[in-house]
Amino acid sequence: MIRLFNWFRRGSLERGLNREIQYHFDRRVADLTAAGIPEPEARRRAAVELSLTQVREEVRDVWLGRWLRDFLYDLRFSVRSLLRSPSFTATTLLSLALGIGAITAIYSLVDQVILHALPVREPGRLVLVDWNGDDLITGGIGSFNLMPYPICRELQQQTRFFEGVLCRAEIEVNLTAGGDPRPVAAEIVSGSYFPVLGVGPALGRVIEPEDDAAPGAGPVVVLSYDFWQAQFGGAADIAGRKVLIGNHPMTVVGVAAAGFRGVDVGAVPAFWIPTSMYADANLDTDEDLLNNPTRWLQILARLRPGVSAAQAQAGLLPWFRPWLEDSARRPWFPVITVEKRRLYLASSLILTPAPQGHSPLRRSLSQPLWLLFAATGVLLGLACLNVAGLFLARGSARARELATRLALGASRSRIGRQLLADSLLLALTGGVLGIALAPPAMRALIAFLPHDLAANALRPSISLDLLGFALLASFAAGLLSGIAPALHAGRDNVVNSLRERGGTGFGGVRLRKAIVTLQVAFSLILLIGAALFLRTLTGLLAKGPGFDTSSLLSFAIAPLENGYSRADASRLVRRLDEQVRALPAVRSSAAARFAFLTGGAWSNNATIQTDRRIVSDRSVNFNAVSPGFFATLGVRLLAGRDFDQSDSRPAGEIGPRCAIVNQAFVKRYLAGRDPLGVRIARGGHTDVKPDSPIVGVVADMSYRGLRDDSEQVFFPLFESDDTGATFYIKVRGAPEQAIPSIRRLVRQDDPRLPILWFRTLDDQVNRSLNTERMLAALSGSFGALALLLSLVGLYGVMSFVVTRRTREIGIRLALGATRASALRLVLRDAAAMIAAGVALALPCVAALDKLVQSQLFGVTATDPATVAAAALVLAAGALVAAFIPAWRASNVSPTDALRLE
Amino acid sequence: MPSPRFPIPQGTLDMLILQILSLEPAHGYGIAQRLEQISRSVVQVNQGSLYPALHRLQQKGWLRAEWKKSEIGRDAKFYCLTPAGRKQLAVEKDSWARLSGAVNLIFEEGSR
Repeated sequence: MIRLFNWFRRGSLERGLNREIQYHFDRRVADLTAAGIPEPEARRRAAVELSLTQVREEVRDVWLGRWLRDFLYDLRFSVRSLLRSPSFTATTLLSLALGIGAITAIYSLVDQVILHALPVREPGRLVLVDWNGDDLITGGIGSFNLMPYPICRELQQQTRFFEGVLCRAEIEVNLTAGGDPRPVAAEIVSGSYFPVLGVGPALGRVIEPEDDAAPGAGPVVVLSYDFWQAQFGGAADIAGRKVLIGNHPMTVVGVAAAGFRGVDVGAVPAFWIPTSMYADANLDTDEDLLNNPTRWLQILARLRPGVSAAQAQAGLLPWFRPWLEDSARRPWFPVITVEKRRLYLASSLILTPAPQGHSPLRRSLSQPLWLLFAATGVLLGLACLNVAGLFLARGSARARELATRLALGASRSRIGRQLLADSLLLALTGGVLGIALAPPAMRALIAFLPHDLAANALRPSISLDLLGFALLASFAAGLLSGIAPALHAGRDNVVNSLRERGGTGFGGVRLRKAIVTLQVAFSLILLIGAALFLRTLTGLLAKGPGFDTSSLLSFAIAPLENGYSRADASRLVRRLDEQVRALPAVRSSAAARFAFLTGGAWSNNATIQTDRRIVSDRSVNFNAVSPGFFATLGVRLLAGRDFDQSDSRPAGEIGPRCAIVNQAFVKRYLAGRDPLGVRIARGGHTDVKPDSPIVGVVADMSYRGLRDDSEQVFFPLFESDDTGATFYIKVRGAPEQAIPSIRRLVRQDDPRLPILWFRTLDDQVNRSLNTERMLAALSGSFGALALLLSLVGLYGVMSFVVTRRTREIGIRLALGATRASALRLVLRDAAAMIAAGVALALPCVAALDKLVQSQLFGVTATDPATVAAAALVLAAGALVAAFIPAWRASNVSPTDALRLE
Repeated sequence: MPSPRFPIPQGTLDMLILQILSLEPAHGYGIAQRLEQISRSVVQVNQGSLYPALHRLQQKGWLRAEWKKSEIGRDAKFYCLTPAGRKQLAVEKDSWARLSGAVNLIFEEGSR
């Protein structure tokens, strides 16, 4: 370190040394002359004794160390020689900066979404507790690791394996804190949450076990640090303030530690409330969720030191088996077959390490992110190959210089090291530029991401990890792009190099051809990927949601969260529906219980009664809609009738009166029979009574997202068990113009009721395609960039080949070869490289098949047409790139070519 | 007319410099003169190798240097021992004593 510092003050060190030696020299000369030796002789002897130059060199070695000194001189030489060829430097820097910037940006998302451990005490000991027993008997949803609350309480007794157990669920509540109420994301947590995670308060206190002792025990709120800063300006007197959660007053008791954002990267809570306040804070239920088996929260546990997840999982069995048998005797346990009962009783808890917490966002994004990460890796590799190619080209231009240096006694390793210093310097500079490029790239990426929450959860900032990663990537890129030219530099014969004329020199044709072949292969892989994702996107857009989205507007309300009773909420929805329809700008309007195209759905099994009883073999998506819903969206009614007012039961009565199913449902379960009049019901238990007759069949429409081709069942809205609603409105003219009047309507009815969101359906469709669009746009630009890089590489190497063979071609022409044959000669070379590249790429694409398949729609990864088209584009571009030098070769004048020698 | 002096053993120059400076601070030429006195009788020290050694010892933190007026009134760079240097000198003296003791022991063994 001190040596590096010495480099920067070497000027003053040199001056000091000079003075010091000068003093010595003068004294010695003085002493010698005093002893009677004539001055010229004295000076000579003093100089010989001291051997001045050697002393200086040796002292410099002391200051810097041999290797560092050489290395720094290499670097300085590199800087000078790079500055002398600015276009070369700019090209290489740009390609490296792009490659490193892209991979750094993607890595930051990979890190934040997939790899980053929670900022809690010893995250390595956290496990997620899951159980698949319930799914076995109900065939239910169960994919979000949801667990019932009582298990959490019982797991807390298992202290042999666990230091502590917490449970949590994300909820959305309406918060009123001195202003209008608005929906805010929060986390409802057990009293053990903060102690188990080891997260303390930044101010006041966190939620404690006493807050969660009994239902209603702790009307307390703990704010997240960010929310406290953003909403309350970091007010120091925040503890003790009263806020309204829904309709219930609660007290802010503290602020959680800065940097802690809950256990789910995709859902950042603004605050935490204890599970004891479940009934008050929320929600769409009167059920006593704390004592029943409904699965609504996730359980995380902290293992005791030295206990592994597998040990704990096995060790829990003796306790869990009796628990299962006990639960199977409870009154709420469904009637199931003997086989299912056996499966249920044999089910076990599953413990998976969860140092990163729990995150559905991770599940949905990890595959696209890894894909993009791989693509940027390939892109960076391509950029490195390009730089390597440029270095080789520069190597041949510098051949005379290098040969002269060799002849003057430089060792080959010394010259190789110099070239390596060049590439490392370029790569590190490129890396610094790349790091500067990364934050805007990250912002752009985050804007692409599907979830609204992702925008809050992910940060376009550079962390120390990320910096390390970028430097590592740059270093690897430097080695990768420099090693081949550096090794190569040591190989040629000095005499030959010096004898050859300028411009030809260092060969490396075979090496450069290999590099171009690899580039062709890499860019073909990226091109095929781009074509696949583009076809997926266009395929989904062409398919559409199954209805006309133009002039369609939607907005949502959640009255239960604002303290409405079910009956009041139902009346409110009905009232708003009628009022909206009466607005002059509105053509037609309808309401649905669940929103479409948001990724979620109300799914369950269905029981169908024809001549026998059928239970659906996979989840059916349900929704409840008001009369006129299908007409408003423009979904065709294929058979039967739409719902009408008489289908809605008055409050207090239970169960839907009739149902409408979609075409896919008929195709799967009622093929070949008249669906109208068949009775169906929601749920797959044996005690479910199929009593709702099918009164209509509609065309298929998307529910969760555009890929969705699920079976769907619709019930009439305005049943007694109604919750919130999403309104769908067909307007006259531009949808945006209708928004103010609708807002006014809702505010007139209840000024405290927030509108959750207001969106056009076009917008909604776009949002639902975010991941696909991101993949298509990014892989498209990566593909284009890759194509460009490899074409430039190919052009470069072909020009080089042609220059080298000018004389040979000239002789051939002089001996009577035609121009066409000269053209063929060169193009054959290029075609061989292209063919080899394609041959390399195809097996790789086949191998990647599995990785990408789930991201595709309407096309397979090895789709012959797509692969052929991509290969054709590449081959055509490559031939054009090769044709220019080939044309030049065919136009060689024999006399000129021979005179060149 | 080369004298029958033998070259200074590897690594002892550092120790000699430390020893000289442990008596009083000195500039390079002063140290050279002291070395000259020693070397006239016993060993041969190349004056040129003095300065790399001084800078190396300074870099290791065993010497401190400052510019002061010398006995002839010109500015000269004076070196003096740091506490770490004093410790190092003790260590080297000790290991030297052990080494030479061991060598002596071997010689006595052989002459018996």
